[in-house]
Amino acid sequence: MGAVLVVGGGISGMTAALEAAEVGKDVFLVEKNSYLGGRVAQLNQYFPKLCPPSCGMEINFKRIKNNRKVRTYTMTTVKAVAGSAGSYEVTLETAPRYVNSNCTACNACVDACPESRANAFNFNMDKTKAIYKAHEMAFPLRYVIDPSACTRCGKCVEACKYGAIEMDMQAKSFKLNVASIVWATGWNPYDPTRMDNLKFNSSDAIITNMMMERLAAPAGPTGGKILRPGDNKEPQSFAFVQCAGSRDENHLEFCSYICCMATMKQITYIRERYPEAPIYVFYIDLRTPGKYEKFREKLMADPKTFFIKGKVADIVAEGDGGVTMVAENAVTGDKVRQKVDLAILATGMEPAAKGMASLPGVTLDKNGFIVSDADRAMLAAGCAKKASDVVTATQNATAAALKAIQASRR
Amino acid sequence: MQINSDLQFIKYLKGAGGDTLKKCYQCATCSVVCPLSSDQKPFPRKEMIWAQWGLKDKLVADPDVFLCHQCGDCTAYCPRGAKPGDVLGAIRAYAYTYYGFPSGLAKLASSSSNLPILIGLPAAIILVLWYISGGMHLPEGAVDFGKFFGEWHFHYLSKTVFFIDAIMLPAAGLALFSAYKGVSTMWAKMSEGLETKPGFRPSCPQFAKEFLWPAVQEIISHKRFNECGVNQDRVRGHKPLMLAFIGLLIVTTYGFIRKDLLGIFNPSLHGPIPLWDPIKILANVSAIALIYGILLLWGKRSNDESVSGAQGNFYDWFLIYEIAVVGISGLLSELTRLANIGTLAYGFYFIHLVAIMMLFLYMPYTKFAHLVYRTFAMAFERYRQSDYVTKKA
Repeated sequence: MGAVLVVGGGISGMTAALEAAEVGKDVFLVEKNSYLGGRVAQLNQYFPKLCPPSCGMEINFKRIKNNRKVRTYTMTTVKAVAGSAGSYEVTLETAPRYVNSNCTACNACVDACPESRANAFNFNMDKTKAIYKAHEMAFPLRYVIDPSACTRCGKCVEACKYGAIEMDMQAKSFKLNVASIVWATGWNPYDPTRMDNLKFNSSDAIITNMMMERLAAPAGPTGGKILRPGDNKEPQSFAFVQCAGSRDENHLEFCSYICCMATMKQITYIRERYPEAPIYVFYIDLRTPGKYEKFREKLMADPKTFFIKGKVADIVAEGDGGVTMVAENAVTGDKVRQKVDLAILATGMEPAAKGMASLPGVTLDKNGFIVSDADRAMLAAGCAKKASDVVTATQNATAAALKAIQASRR
Repeated sequence: MQINSDLQFIKYLKGAGGDTLKKCYQCATCSVVCPLSSDQKPFPRKEMIWAQWGLKDKLVADPDVFLCHQCGDCTAYCPRGAKPGDVLGAIRAYAYTYYGFPSGLAKLASSSSNLPILIGLPAAIILVLWYISGGMHLPEGAVDFGKFFGEWHFHYLSKTVFFIDAIMLPAAGLALFSAYKGVSTMWAKMSEGLETKPGFRPSCPQFAKEFLWPAVQEIISHKRFNECGVNQDRVRGHKPLMLAFIGLLIVTTYGFIRKDLLGIFNPSLHGPIPLWDPIKILANVSAIALIYGILLLWGKRSNDESVSGAQGNFYDWFLIYEIAVVGISGLLSELTRLANIGTLAYGFYFIHLVAIMMLFLYMPYTKFAHLVYRTFAMAFERYRQSDYVTKKA
């Protein structure tokens, strides 16, 4: 009976891998990044309980660590898939990390490294050295070198007492034989520069909701203070721009499902830090399914939070560093010009599979989501399947694991 | 609140280029990206929901419908492909029929299935009159359109001038009357929501000076048209076309005074105006500008339709074809006249007369009606902001 390959080590991929492994399947979990945890690792808090990601991630890491049935490959991508359901031969490639398993995360290499790079984990709002730890709870806990920033000066090699740095590490190609494949390739935040009327690049006061997560995160670029990028000012007013790129056939045709709730959640971040700051939410419709209605009602009762039915279709950068939102209030029929210190674009989820050069053997729908095909033992999980929150993603990841097991027993 | 939905109206809009209107989900992006939408009265979001609900009465009384220049910025940014620009165009098409007088003629001019009548009627009238006049043969000597309807020995009014006046004056008169009636009904409907001080109304000169003339100036300078984003290059076609019409209006008025009025007393003023007469130069320059403008707009529209897959509709194309035929038949008449090819020249001249009669006759009901309705809507926009209105609706 064949093994299961899970592509993508975010919350969905880890869930699918563990569900299959814990009932005795052999599982290979591959992840493109140097760490597991995916998008959830970047959040400050996540639904349903508004936990920090350490809670939930930690238990999954532990389950993976303790389960010999799961073999994990980070920095690894799928190159080719041959064969058919029940007997796939998958070619994978592991990019060089330049740091081997001797690493103890002592940080001596970082102190020695003279080069720096923009920190993609924090959406380039700060920098790391060319050799770095991906983030506070990076798992596997091992440093990594960014070859595009590294000048190969060798200072880190000298600083490392454990011989963990291998400057001549090469990319490694290898093959796995598996019965079924779970694609949990996740999502990317939609590129805000593509909405030209929202003028993302015109002002530092325009950020995305994912940047907001990092600004609010204790280990983020501002240590959890919500400060305006660029001048580090404490914003006195905030605006949320809902459906920034979602439900829009020029961008993402579908509803990204999470952005309304993400905004609601981020209102609580702001309230904790700025109890009096006015917050304006510009929306088309508010989608707060199920029990989240209660959450919405509580937030809408806040006298300093204003909900305006009308999509922001123009943002004007102001001289004092603020930005003005322009919208039509569809309830009153008036045009609204609301100046704020910080605008948050509630950008949606673009399926990561859409941007990948090729996912061998995978069928995408017109929006780039992966179409599950149980007959071919090609299954989609999490946000690779549809835009969803963590609860739904882990549910459908479990479902994908079950189908993967069934396919491997045929 | 009671909603009086007019389902026929919705159906009409869908057939007249507004087939996408039900896709709108009221996000209001359009009202913000519209370069012509004001802060006080943003459009076209509200028009979209009125159209979806079939609120015909609200729409025909809404100046913003006529202020729209169909720039297409709203359509480009619309997240749903609801094409608000095209929907407003369809609403205008409806409004011209709605305000049209007599309503039978207005309805006739609103559908491509009536084309045989629309063309046949003026063609038959001119043909019959041509036959009755006894001028339906090649006259002696050089081609002279002054002899189109034959000649008679009544010195003061030439036979052809008489016939042309008999055809064109009633057609133009009806058009002017209908436009006047339509615009005054529209104005009354638009004013319904406004509160004014009793006995405090602008006089005619005040109205012309404060509201109408500024609107006309704005139109001639294409100020708003130039603010358009996506469709701005239509200005390159519309501007020469509009100037050509002004030029030809001057020429026609001059010709009318010279031949039809002064000619009564001085018969030597009949006959073609010499080629190097300044007025004739203006006429020819205008004719070329007209043909250039209309061909550019023609190309633009057919290109837009092939790019966007938008359905072509009678409302838009009728005016393009009509003006193109007026321009090209006029130019061909002149060229064949100068080349002295009688059969062709009189044939083209016949087509030219039919096309001009159609232009006059259907002006208040077809897209051409925008020249009066939009002008007065722009005047109304100034009026509703003025101190004559005490409470802005």
